[in-house]
Amino acid sequence: MSDKFSRRDFLKLAGVGAATTAILTGCGPASRYVKREPYMLMPEYNYNGQSTYYATTCRECAAGCGLVVRTSQGRAIKTEGNANNPLNLGKTCARGQATLHGLYNPDRVTDPIKRTRGAAAGTTVAWDDAIQTVADALKNNKPEEIAFLMGTTSDHLFDLLTDLSAQAGINAPVRFGALSMFEARATLSKAAENLFGEAGMPFFDVGGAQVVISFGANFLETWLSPVPYTRGFAGLREGQTKKRGTFIQFEARMSSTAAKADEWLPIRPGTEALVALAIGRLASELRGGPLPRVFAEVDTAAAADAAGVKLTALEHIAEIFAASAGVLAIPGGSALGQSNGLAVAEAVLALNAVADNFGKAGGVFFSGLAPSQTEYQRPASAMEMQDFIQNMTDGKYKVLFVHGVNPVFELPASSGFKAALKGVEQVISFASFPDETALEADFVFPDHHALESWGYQRVVTGSAQPVLSGSQPVVSPFYNTRATVDVLIAAAQLAGGKFAEAMPFKDEVEFLRSKVAPLMSEADGFFSAADLNTFMAYFQQYGGWWKTTDGRTAPNAADVFNRELDASEAEFAGEGEFFFVPFVSPTLAEAGANKPWLQELPDPTTTVMWNTWVEINPETAHELGLEDDDVVKIISEAGELEVPVYRYPAIRPDTIAMPFGQGHTAYGQYAAGRGSNPADLLGQHFNEAGDLAFAGMKVKIEKTGKKQPLSRMESIMGVYGVGLGEEH
Amino acid sequence: MIRPEEIKMSAEENGKWGLVIDQDICTGCQACVAACAMENNISFVGEVDAGYGRSMHWIRIERFWEGEYPEVKMTPNQPMLCQQCGHATCEPVCPAFATVHSQAEQLNLQVYNRCVGTRYCANNCPYQVRAFNWRDYQRPEPLPNQLNPDVTVRRMGVMEKCTFCIQRIHKAQDKAKAEGREVVDGEFTTACAQACPANAIVFGRVDDPESLVSQLSHRGHGVKHLEELGTLPNVTYFKGG
Repeated sequence: MSDKFSRRDFLKLAGVGAATTAILTGCGPASRYVKREPYMLMPEYNYNGQSTYYATTCRECAAGCGLVVRTSQGRAIKTEGNANNPLNLGKTCARGQATLHGLYNPDRVTDPIKRTRGAAAGTTVAWDDAIQTVADALKNNKPEEIAFLMGTTSDHLFDLLTDLSAQAGINAPVRFGALSMFEARATLSKAAENLFGEAGMPFFDVGGAQVVISFGANFLETWLSPVPYTRGFAGLREGQTKKRGTFIQFEARMSSTAAKADEWLPIRPGTEALVALAIGRLASELRGGPLPRVFAEVDTAAAADAAGVKLTALEHIAEIFAASAGVLAIPGGSALGQSNGLAVAEAVLALNAVADNFGKAGGVFFSGLAPSQTEYQRPASAMEMQDFIQNMTDGKYKVLFVHGVNPVFELPASSGFKAALKGVEQVISFASFPDETALEADFVFPDHHALESWGYQRVVTGSAQPVLSGSQPVVSPFYNTRATVDVLIAAAQLAGGKFAEAMPFKDEVEFLRSKVAPLMSEADGFFSAADLNTFMAYFQQYGGWWKTTDGRTAPNAADVFNRELDASEAEFAGEGEFFFVPFVSPTLAEAGANKPWLQELPDPTTTVMWNTWVEINPETAHELGLEDDDVVKIISEAGELEVPVYRYPAIRPDTIAMPFGQGHTAYGQYAAGRGSNPADLLGQHFNEAGDLAFAGMKVKIEKTGKKQPLSRMESIMGVYGVGLGEEH
Repeated sequence: MIRPEEIKMSAEENGKWGLVIDQDICTGCQACVAACAMENNISFVGEVDAGYGRSMHWIRIERFWEGEYPEVKMTPNQPMLCQQCGHATCEPVCPAFATVHSQAEQLNLQVYNRCVGTRYCANNCPYQVRAFNWRDYQRPEPLPNQLNPDVTVRRMGVMEKCTFCIQRIHKAQDKAKAEGREVVDGEFTTACAQACPANAIVFGRVDDPESLVSQLSHRGHGVKHLEELGTLPNVTYFKGG
């Protein structure tokens, strides 16, 4: 071939050749206009090399962010945020990006299986037998002996089970998730109820504020709804019409949220309520007028002393508070997971009364209820889970269905969930992955992955507008899995009687339509349609339905100043000398450990990958004779574990911290046998709202003499200005 | 064969791309890192190789510590990626012309099938943003289903780095050309910028004075890293605080 003859020319010539051949064979002049189709015709919406995009909803956490998934030839290639969805406005977090590593995970449960509890393998069964098993479980047990334990996603399944429970008398579904446990959702809602006379999820308008004072709220990591809170933080920093906002964080350990703060105050754990009230008093004094009764009792000097900070530091914060408009105080995270967590939440919420920001831009609101929701619902607190576990132990449940949650891993070992399973005759899991709970089940009837599923998710908080995020399959199911809603509908019809009456649906889609249909008559929707088919088409196309109006409400704060709040310090369980702060890994969260790219994301503060570490102040480590990567044994009253040391420069010398997310004994090749689970150290202590006092333990450290190198990103860049390659 | 002189070389015509990164609002959440990995078929290497510094991140978030407890501060998160230097130190050292400068795109290309793995380029990059495939990293089935068909999968012995999502640039250019128009600012963006929940990363044409990225990069407090080396980076940073 001469160098004038390019590949493109060759292809052009080849095309001419084909046409010429057609003419020469004498098919007549019309054959010149014969359209040539690609040799492999794809389905109607698919062409080779052309991507198709589907709107759906992320199920990596319960926030309900909208996704648009790029697919190519029937495969999901990339997830992006849905720019239409008012919650995340086209953005995603790392877990949303890695959801594809769940879809195409090599360790998924591929078929329905019957198994022996605790054994590694099981035998595959047919779906007809699986449905018969579920139908028998429904039919052959008394309604009150049937229990459902659900995670915090898949709201359509929750609605189906709620209907089933109302009409067939089975127990109402119980929801739980480790994230909601570490977020202390019950405490937030209880504190709001105590102060404002109304339970609900508070909404903190970080983006509109000028000064944000956070007590332990890790809102840039996993707390409540990280994507919109991160957007809010960006608004705080670079507001178009205002000066750069200030961010102050009180926290014993510098989280990656606190790392973004202008001022980080490592106060002694347990003194948050005291410090909040002291700041309220100082700021009220600076602002003048009568001192509100709620702050009148607190002794500011004693509070500073107890917290281990100088009084001048608190006065400095109070000056910023008093001098600024738009101050917002947020309670959250480990500050609420203590024996006095409810008092902390109330004291910090009361600070907002000084700023008088309720229902104003940059202030505190109640999150609006999602469309089709009539009252605020929250997942079960750890204390409510104790009742559930007790019922299991007592044999009150003959059959337990588990969906979307892995309680054997997510609940602390001390809760006794695993042992309580022995009291349940039949455990049926709908897990998509072979997690620890699925291993303890008698049957695993795998649900589709989120990207293969129908459904919807109510947005609890994060968006000013009420949002119902919709899910649709973006790819056809990869394995022999089946939608749990379909399984339950089929089984209910097979079981007959009340069950069949409660479930008069052909399939999941028909059920979904029945739930979405009432939205057609609601006002202020961002789309509307005259008939259900068109409405559903829009619902799928846009990835849900939301209102164009602000659904948030202002809390009634009339009585906040006249309350008396408890300023006593938290009590800590255990004998040790160190406060123990477990925190949710910002990249892995509770269920990310089986996704290899999430494992390889460096932790934002320590840059450690693929493992668990314990953070110890370098001074403390020096006194104990510990170096990085030395394995220590941590002993609490509830248990002990071994974990390598990371000398963390931004933690109190009397505090150690560990990320939650690793330490799986099952859950696939990337998760199993990796790291350790700090929940193993947690005892069953609760705050007054029933949330686990997960940050309310004291622990001991023992050297083991072993070493285990941690893989970290920073070693190639150096620490403390150590040059490249000097240490490694 | 197309002769070099036939290639349109005008930067104005083909666009010159740049990024602006605001370190003050970057929260270090790693969404960009995950998005980049998913878009660009980047291998994960596992715990041991990651510990040796062999992870394949095309973008990483650097942070350093200043001071000692309790006055300790973390420096503003610094997403570090290929700066697409106008005068790149990686280019002249490649014996195989695998890392070459694209006149059309004003980008540093990495031609995988030319690369013979000398690693001179990584050695010479002052930003340490090049990643080398030390092994054929495994993606067990069915993970390969997720691979982006627009991006080459690399094998052992090949150097790789951030491309400013050149596949997205080309797609947008093809579309604009077919419709007989210029690529519009904001029509597409890189995977990292698209994911960033804080909008800390902004991508666009720096040769278009009207574009958002141009206006941001000409703000007074923007800095370019290691500018004193004369590398002419195309990434502008706003320092935090």
